[in-house]
Formats: sequence, C-alpha cells, structure tokens
Amino acid sequence: MPRIVIDGLEIEVPQETKVIDAAERLGIMIPRFCYLKSLGAVGACRVCAVKFLQGPFKGVQMSCMVDVQDGMVVSTTDDEAVAFRRQVIEWLMLNHPHDCPVCDEGGQCLLQDETVSGGHGIRRYKGSKRTYRNQYLGEFIAHEMNRCIHCYRCSRFYQEYCGYRDLGVMQIADRVYFGRFQNGQLESPFSGNLVDLCPTGVYTDIPARYKVRSWDLDRSPSVCIHCSLGCNTVANARYRTVWRVEGRYNEALGSEFICDRGRFGFGYTNQPSRPRQARVDSRSVALSDALKSAAEKLSRIHAASGPRAIACVGSARNSLETQTMLKSLCDGLGLPAPCFFVNSQTEKAVKRAVASLDERVAVSLNGVAHGDFIVAVGVDPLNEAPMLALAMRQAHRRGALLVILDPRPSFLPAPHVHLGFAPGELNGVLGSLVGKALETGDEGKLPPLHEDFLKSLPLESLFKAPVNHGEELDVVLSALQKSRRPVLVCGSEIVRENTPSLCADLALLMRSAKGQCGLFYVLPGANAFGGALLSGSEESSFMEVVESMEQGCTKALVLVESDPFLQFPHKDRLKRAMEKLELLIVLDHLPSLSAEMSHVFLPTSTLFEVDSTFINQEGRVQWSRAVHEGGIPMEQWTEGNHPPRAHGAIIPGQDFKAAGKVLEEIARNMGASGEVSLSDPRFRPGKGASPLEGAPGDRPGDGMRLIPRESSREPFSAREEYFTFGEDAGDSLELLLVEALFGTEELSAHSPALEKVEPKPHMWMHEQDASMLGFSQDDVIAMDLEGGVVEVRLKVSPSMARGVLVLPRHHRLQWQKFRDISVRVPHDRMRKS
Amino acid sequence: MYPQVLFANRKASRIATMEEYCRSGGYEALSLVVGKWTGKDVCAEVQRANLRGRGGAGFPAAIKWLGVPEEADYPRYVVANCDEMEPGTFKDRVLVHADPHMILEGMALTGYATGAEKGFIFVRPSYESSARILEREIQKARDAGYLGKNILGTDFSFEIVVHRSGGRYICGEATALLNALQGKRPNPVKPPPYPTVKGLWGRPTVVNNIETMANVPHILRNGAEWYQGLSRSSTSPGTKLFCVSGRVNGPGCFELPMGITLREIIEEHAGGLQPGCHYKACLPGGASTRYLTSEHLDVPMDFESVAAIGHRMGTAAIIVFDQNTCLVGATLNLTQFFARESCGWCTPCREGLPYLRDLLWRIEKGEGEEEFIPMMRAMCDQLWNAYCALAPGAASPVESLLTYFEDEVREHIRQKRCPFKT
Repeated sequence: MPRIVIDGLEIEVPQETKVIDAAERLGIMIPRFCYLKSLGAVGACRVCAVKFLQGPFKGVQMSCMVDVQDGMVVSTTDDEAVAFRRQVIEWLMLNHPHDCPVCDEGGQCLLQDETVSGGHGIRRYKGSKRTYRNQYLGEFIAHEMNRCIHCYRCSRFYQEYCGYRDLGVMQIADRVYFGRFQNGQLESPFSGNLVDLCPTGVYTDIPARYKVRSWDLDRSPSVCIHCSLGCNTVANARYRTVWRVEGRYNEALGSEFICDRGRFGFGYTNQPSRPRQARVDSRSVALSDALKSAAEKLSRIHAASGPRAIACVGSARNSLETQTMLKSLCDGLGLPAPCFFVNSQTEKAVKRAVASLDERVAVSLNGVAHGDFIVAVGVDPLNEAPMLALAMRQAHRRGALLVILDPRPSFLPAPHVHLGFAPGELNGVLGSLVGKALETGDEGKLPPLHEDFLKSLPLESLFKAPVNHGEELDVVLSALQKSRRPVLVCGSEIVRENTPSLCADLALLMRSAKGQCGLFYVLPGANAFGGALLSGSEESSFMEVVESMEQGCTKALVLVESDPFLQFPHKDRLKRAMEKLELLIVLDHLPSLSAEMSHVFLPTSTLFEVDSTFINQEGRVQWSRAVHEGGIPMEQWTEGNHPPRAHGAIIPGQDFKAAGKVLEEIARNMGASGEVSLSDPRFRPGKGASPLEGAPGDRPGDGMRLIPRESSREPFSAREEYFTFGEDAGDSLELLLVEALFGTEELSAHSPALEKVEPKPHMWMHEQDASMLGFSQDDVIAMDLEGGVVEVRLKVSPSMARGVLVLPRHHRLQWQKFRDISVRVPHDRMRKS
Repeated sequence: MYPQVLFANRKASRIATMEEYCRSGGYEALSLVVGKWTGKDVCAEVQRANLRGRGGAGFPAAIKWLGVPEEADYPRYVVANCDEMEPGTFKDRVLVHADPHMILEGMALTGYATGAEKGFIFVRPSYESSARILEREIQKARDAGYLGKNILGTDFSFEIVVHRSGGRYICGEATALLNALQGKRPNPVKPPPYPTVKGLWGRPTVVNNIETMANVPHILRNGAEWYQGLSRSSTSPGTKLFCVSGRVNGPGCFELPMGITLREIIEEHAGGLQPGCHYKACLPGGASTRYLTSEHLDVPMDFESVAAIGHRMGTAAIIVFDQNTCLVGATLNLTQFFARESCGWCTPCREGLPYLRDLLWRIEKGEGEEEFIPMMRAMCDQLWNAYCALAPGAASPVESLLTYFEDEVREHIRQKRCPFKT
C-alpha cells in the first residue's frame, strides 16, 4: 500500500486511492465541487488543486485526479495552490447571483462554505452576469440555473449513475446549461438526489422550498421505511412539521442516494387528516382514559372468553420495538401469537427468506453493485425497492450482466435480459439456468450433497418454456458460466412460497462451485424481517384470524399500525367479519377504515417522533432517531399565520405515544403475567445484546446483521417440491397483486408530493393475451368478481409473461373484491367497459 | 523554388485527379507496402524518417502508432483530423483541394501500420466542399482497388468514412474529437488511457492531422533519408505547409522546408508587407501561439527552434500584423474566439477566458486600469492549470501581448482610449 505525506502527515492508503481521499482520511478536507466519491473523479471544477512537492508529479495538480503513489509529498497550503484555488473561486462566483438570503441552499451550501473559507470577499469583475431561463422540472425539484457553477455533478449522476437521459448538458462555453430538452417532470425516480448533490442551490426541494432555513431545522439520522432496503436518511423538522428528507451515506448500502419515494414520502406524518385524538366508542377522550378503557374491555373479553378470543395483528411498518412489545403482550397474556402479514402466501415466502439468510451468502446492496452477474427472480426492482435498481445499474457499469426473471414488464435503468415467465415457472427456469451453467461433467468437484442437488435440477424446463428467448439465453448462460461473483436477488410478493428457499439452495450450490455467490432478498415492508422473526407459526395466518372472526371465536382484535383492508383481497368480507367483533382496538397514525371502525382508537407516533429500530431485508438492524416531538404542525394549528401568534403551555396534538409504549401500558393495566416491557427483550437475536437495549446514541445493535453464520435450515431438503409445475393457465389469467413505484406503498400514499406524480390506476396484460380477449391499450376493463366489479385501465406489453394479470395495488383503486390473493381471473369475467 | 512534395500536383484552377496522382507516384507506396511489409516495418520507416505531427504539437507520428498495443482488440480505427478550426490556418483545405488521394493513401498506410480497417476523416462543417471532394475521391479509390475490401488483392481491407463535425474549435482536440465522433459532448478526456489504447468505442484509435498522413506515402516510397533531406532542420524533417495571412502582399499556403526562417517566408514567399506597412509582430502558428516580434524574424521555423525561444510553432499559420494594427484589439478578437469556443468543462477555461476578454475589452474601450495588467498576467499563469490545452493556448497571445507590447497596453490605459483609433 502506497504511503504519502500530506501537509507533513504521513498516511498509508490502499492502491488507487485519490490524493483528495487520502487527505480526507487525515482530516484535511480539500475543497471540491465536481468530485463525489460515488460518481468518481473528472477534474472539471479545478478547486481541489494542491501542490505536489516530491514524487512522480510536480507542481500544482488536481488532488482528485491523482492516485496516491509512494514517495509523494503534497502540500495543500502552498501559496501557489492556495492562490490558484482562490482564483477558481473568483471565477466560479463571476456569474453567481449572490442570492443566498433567499436561497434555500443557504446555510448548507458548499459554494458558500468554499467561498467564505477561500477568502473571496471583494468582487473585482466588472462585467455583467450571465443569466439563464429556468425550467419546470416537475413537482419535486425547483430549478434556478443562475446559481449554477457547472460542476457537472447533476448530469453525471442523472445520466451516468442513474441511466436516465432527460436531464443533461446543453450548450458550450459559459453558456453551458443543465436541464431538460423542454419543461417537464423529471423521469428519473432518483431525481431528488440532485438536491443533495448540487453544491449550490440550482436544484432545491419543492416541498421544503421557502418554508424553513437550514440552520433552523432539527436534523436527525433516520431510516427510510418506504421499502425493505432501509436506506439511511436525515430527517429535517421545524415548527412540528417534517419538511425534508435527505440521503445519508451508509457503507454497507454503498451510497448516499435515496429514491424519490423515500425522499418525498414523509407527508403522512404531517397530514391534517392524521388521527391524533384517542377515541372510545366514537367519543374523543384523553389517551390515558382510552388506554384504561382498552385494558378494561380487553380484560373483560379475556376473562369471559379466554385468551384465544383475542387476536393481535401488527404489520411490516411496525418498528422492532412495537413488534417486540406486541409479541410480549401476546405471550404475557397467553394470546395467540401476533400476525404481521395480511397476505399468507407472502408471509410464508418472507419467513423462508428470513430463515435462509446467513453469512455465507447474504450480501448488502453494495454487494449487489459489485456482482458480476445479477439475476433477479420474482422481483421488480424499480417498483419494489428502487435503490436496488440503481445498485444493479452500478453492477452493469462495472460489467455485470443483469437478468430479470419476472412475469411483469420490466423497467430497469440499465440494459438487461428480461425473461418474462409466470410465477409458477420461475423455479424451473432458474433451476435449469443454474443447472446448465454449472453442468461440467466431471464428478467429485462438489460435495456429494451439492452434487446431488445439481443433478436434480430440471435442465430442460428453461427450454421447454412457452416464451422463446433463444439467443438471449445463450448470452445469459455463458455469462453465468464465466461469472465469479454471481448474485441472486429474490422477491417475496409474487413468488411461490418455496422460491426463496430454492434461491438459498442455488446460492449455496453456486458458492461451492464458484467460491462466492451473493443472496439478496426483497421483502414487503421496512420491518418485514422483524415480523417474520416474531410472528407465530405459518398456521396462524391472517386468514385464520378472519375465519375465526367470522365464526365468532375471535371476539377482540387489536390492530397495531396495520390496516388489513389495504391488503386483504375481499374488502366486504373483512368488513363483515370485523363488524362481528365485540372489541376492535386500533393503534395507528394513519387514517384508515379500520381506525374508523374501531371501538377504541389509540394514536401513535410516527418514525419521526420516536427513536425506533427497523431490520432491513438483509437482516441489518438500523436505528432511527426521533427528529421532533410531534404535535399538530404549527402551520395547521395557526391556520397558516406566520410567525405563530398562538402560545400555550401545552403542545396541541401531542397526546400520543409510540405504539410499543401503548401496548406496554395496556399490558400493565391488564396485569399481564410476567414482565412485559421493552427492557426485557424476549427477542434477543444473535449472541450480543439486544438491539433494543442501550441509551440513544449507544445502541449496541445499530448496523449489525441479525443473521447466523450458517442457517439452521436444512439445505437441499425440499428439492422435489421446487419443480412441480402448477396447473395449466386454461381460460383464465393468474392475478398478480404488485407494488408500484408510487401509489401503492401504504405510508407514501399519503404524501401530497407523490400524489401529484403517481400514475393513474392500471393493470398489465401481455399483448397477445389482450388481443385474444379483444382488448387493447387504454381500454377500461371491467372484471366481475366475487366482491363486485373492478374497473381499471389496461396497459399491454409485449415483454411480460403470458397468462398473468398484473395489478398494482393502487390506493385509489377499490380492487379488494377478489375471493383470495392467489386467484385466477377467468376470461369470461373480463369485458370492455 | 523548393521541392514540392505535398503540393507536387497542386494546380491553380482545379483538383488533381486520381490519374494525375498515380502518374506522380501515387499509390506506389501502398502497392510497395501492403502485403509485403509488416505494420511494424511501416512504423519503423516512418520512425526513421522522424515524421512529426502537423496538427501543432509536433509529436512523432510513429511513436503514436506504436502506442497501439500489439495484442490490442479489433476493430481498430484511424482518424484523420481535418477539423482545422485554428484561426489563420487553412492548409488542410488547400491540401484536400490540391491532391485528395494523397490523404487517402496516407490514411490507408496508417491503417496498415496500426492494424486498423476503418478510417474516419473528421471534417469541419464549413469545409463542405472538402467533404464532398473526399467522398467522391474515396469512391474512385475504392473502384480502383486502393480502398475497400482486399486492397490490391491482399487481405488488407480499409474503409474511409467522411464525418462532418458539429463545428466547434474544441473538436480539433484529439480526445474531444473522438467523443464528438461517438455522438457525445466534445469534452476532452485526460489520458491515460490514450486513444491508441482506448479510443473510439473503447478500441485503439490513431488520430493524426491530415497533413501528417499525407507525408506517409512519400516517406515510404522515397525513404527516410530522402525525407530528412527535404528539411533544413535536423530535428524537424520534411516540408511544411505554411499559411501566411495578414498585411502581406501575397497571402497563401506555401510548401517550404522545415527550418526556413520566418523572414524568408514573409519577405520572399508571401511577397513582403503591403506598401506603407512595417512588420510589427506575427502569430507563428495560429491563434493559440505567442506573438513573434521583429527580433524573432530570423528564427528557423521548426518545432525545436521555435520552442527554444519560448514559443510554439503550432500549425505554422502565420498571421502578420503591421505597425498600424492595435494588438490589444487583435488579442481581444482572439480571446473572444477562445472564450466562445471553450467546451465549458473546466472552470479556468469556461470562466477565466470571459474574464480575460472583459479586461481586454475594457482596456481597448478606454476603461482599462493599471491593476488589470498584473491581474491578466496572474490569470494567464492560472490558465495553465486548466483541464486541457485550450486554455493555455488561449492565454498565449494575451501573455505575449503583455510581455512584448506592455507599453502599447499601458498607452491604452493612459490615454483612456485606443491610440490606433482616430
């Protein structure tokens, strides 16, 4: 490893470390505008100039463009370098409008920092300033080109890093313009990162624009809970309103970027319709009274009908604290184990995924970005976990081949091979793909168990498949054969319940054949992992709960930050079942039908109001810190008056608690047997301390992965059941209820910013299926279903599986009229409306 | 009259035909070499002749060719740079209009030397007539078997495509040119990797000026010794196309030996200065070189001799100024051009050149201030830290204006007007 001396300090760094990064490790922050580690060095801004005194380079050089080599001696404070950097700042400020007082970037502006620290205070340039016309870039980002210093970060991020083309560079010389060909919403779902990337105020965040100054904001490290990846964020709040969410660098996740769902999805916490008032039998009461009432009512049922008459349902958006508390409550009162998933097929898949992950194969998002062959099975990265799509693009940029094995039409901002097979075919296709690629003929190279498993793979099913992919398959096969770092990405929503286990087995097999293989699951929800660890056996599914309610066996239902109506296929059935209940207790911060129906409603805090823990899809425990104490936002309380004129001793709307605390008090009021509290973690994964213990800032588990070295699951045990194909399509289409980028995820569906860009409800069908049924693009299709008629606009695609009907669970669509989650819709039930 | 090599077939009225080119020995080098010599032999002969790049930098052509790694991937490419945007330079256009097949043969030979089977001629869009001539003559050469598949019955194939540039000065810079050719923004790219290792679409690519390539057939046909004998200079062999413009009686493009003095070029070949005009200064190699004053008139015009006095020969496009020309105005004009033509990639060039332009404009307008002079000096120095060579080139006339004609600049400031304007 080369050694370098910077300003008299010596440091040894890995090969290919840039001088600017070596200096940063020494605590010397060389100014920079164009350089960003994630984007690489290009040497455009010239502000990172330092003087090379000894070594292979001499004189003033850009520290971002030079790799550290042995014998280099560098000065960052040399007069020549300082003078040049000062000159660069002067040049950059020639045309800058100096509008810091009205600029939202002011106070956290890199240009401001460098200008002040560089000592450029007196303007010498007498010429007039260049001006530009701004563009409308959509609902997220405001454009103010006059502030631009042409660092090229935005266009490089947008085009090279993300793979979208609609924002870029135009014109030359001092007229260089960063923008779109014409006004319009930015197409990239990662566009919000421009706000974070831009070293000055060209791109600012519209929801927060003109609302707050950066120095007034409360900022806390937070975690995104709008999908299972758990990207790290910074939450910003002021006046009891969360204004803005920014990306935060995490080494394991590999970047500081977040998607627009994660950035602009926070509106649920501020919305005026957020239920903040405790209610008992439709009467508003204080939270403490509601808690007592809830405990009394529950105790009554507990005494009268026994503990089995009470069911508890949590969700994948619960924090780990809430889930643990719910589990403790159930255990303490002898209730049935809590259920965290409404969809039982998904629940099974998630549990299998969680049981299969171990250190031998699990990779982080950064691991995906460094794979050389990525196959994504039953997952739609851009819609289910957008940052996964971006990680896959980085793998592509490093030379990986990307394969999507999924029935949905596939959108990925990178070239990829899409094998559009129906969910029932995925196992066979994947098995034969891996089998073909590893087929070597020479025995004995693999351990016997692995060898047997390899032999059991159905080599032919890939080629028997109805969709002919011909040459593409050869490309895929040869890439997989050559691959040294393959990564299997597996979804959990539309796959068969054993697909995650198959992926784990195949990952182990490829690992023993290639020395290395990554496994990456995508789960439905920020804390689906925790839910899977804490929920009961597979038999205690939500469907059982519904049936039990229908039979009158379950008399009380506790819904903890969960609205089953969003997921349950048959709304009326669920409603009828819930109406039979003697007691419905709902704890939530979102308005919902369940909340409206509740006998006792208990308001809870959101992510931003309480320290909480989430386990992402790779089993990583991540701790999010509260950014404010909550309460009705000042804007709503003062009806828009600013500055606020209403003063009082209490903060309105603050009579709520974290769901976990609510549950703890209910348990205490009911006198639950044994200790029921968060400080008594029955849930103690791993060997170390529980991630729930410890003081804020000192969480022992933060960042650790809750996965064993070797999974206790018996590998290769279920090989026969993997490849049994389902029934033939017949005269029906298999219904796939799926997630979309915007418009389906529960929390972000309440965001006013996202509401403006979410697409209208629609469903997808293969071109040929559609034409066979006499449908075409944009027809409104009516489906006669058990629960009534669903009308939805049709989109057709030539590149998706035949025999499936892909229906995003759009929050504006009353789709919940199906008999079951896994149903087929007969052709004759569909007609043009 | 000196021996005419590149201009042997040049006619006042029309373009030399392929037959005329062949009669004068054209395509002999191709038949001599193709299938008989190895590519390495060709490089070796050109290296022995020490052919130096005519685009301005004077880099030895064969060394560049040898930069293509032997085991490098195919396809490989050859690009002839006919972008010629340097103010004052028009030799490429004259060459295309004199004897286009010489360029085609030179390209084919360069391709043969480097293992390339496809060549691009990157033509400035205002040279539409040159582009058409080249396209027409490429077809003729193809029909005659000098280009295309299996040239002269061997297994060497070579195709040439004429590409019209978008028309920007920066496109003449080799790496920016390659970006432009691939449909990207013409931003220069700092090597490594060099284009000869990773150029067009990631493949080895040799970029040479068309004048450089036009020399190749003659070197191979007549030998390195003959070629070196053409020159008066020991370090820069061959002849050179000099473009003379400005206050001379006979402006034009002349083929003269390397190492000929500036005085001889101006006084004998360009017919001396116009009546009533005295020599004040010239730019020896286009707008991006430093002014040469009357004390430099006897400097031999070759790469080393000009470099020895701290100047650059550039493209050898000599722009002559007389005593009545305001050099502040002339420099402002050039700076205007460079400020407009910056690609906008790096700060010094994008923002620094308009700043210089503004200072010069104020001086010329009579709004100059004393402190502008040290500011401009400092800024010219700082421009050397730009990303590519455009900014240092743009700084050259300004810097040399301050070096040789500081009095004239001060006079503008003192009189608060341009002393040349009445």
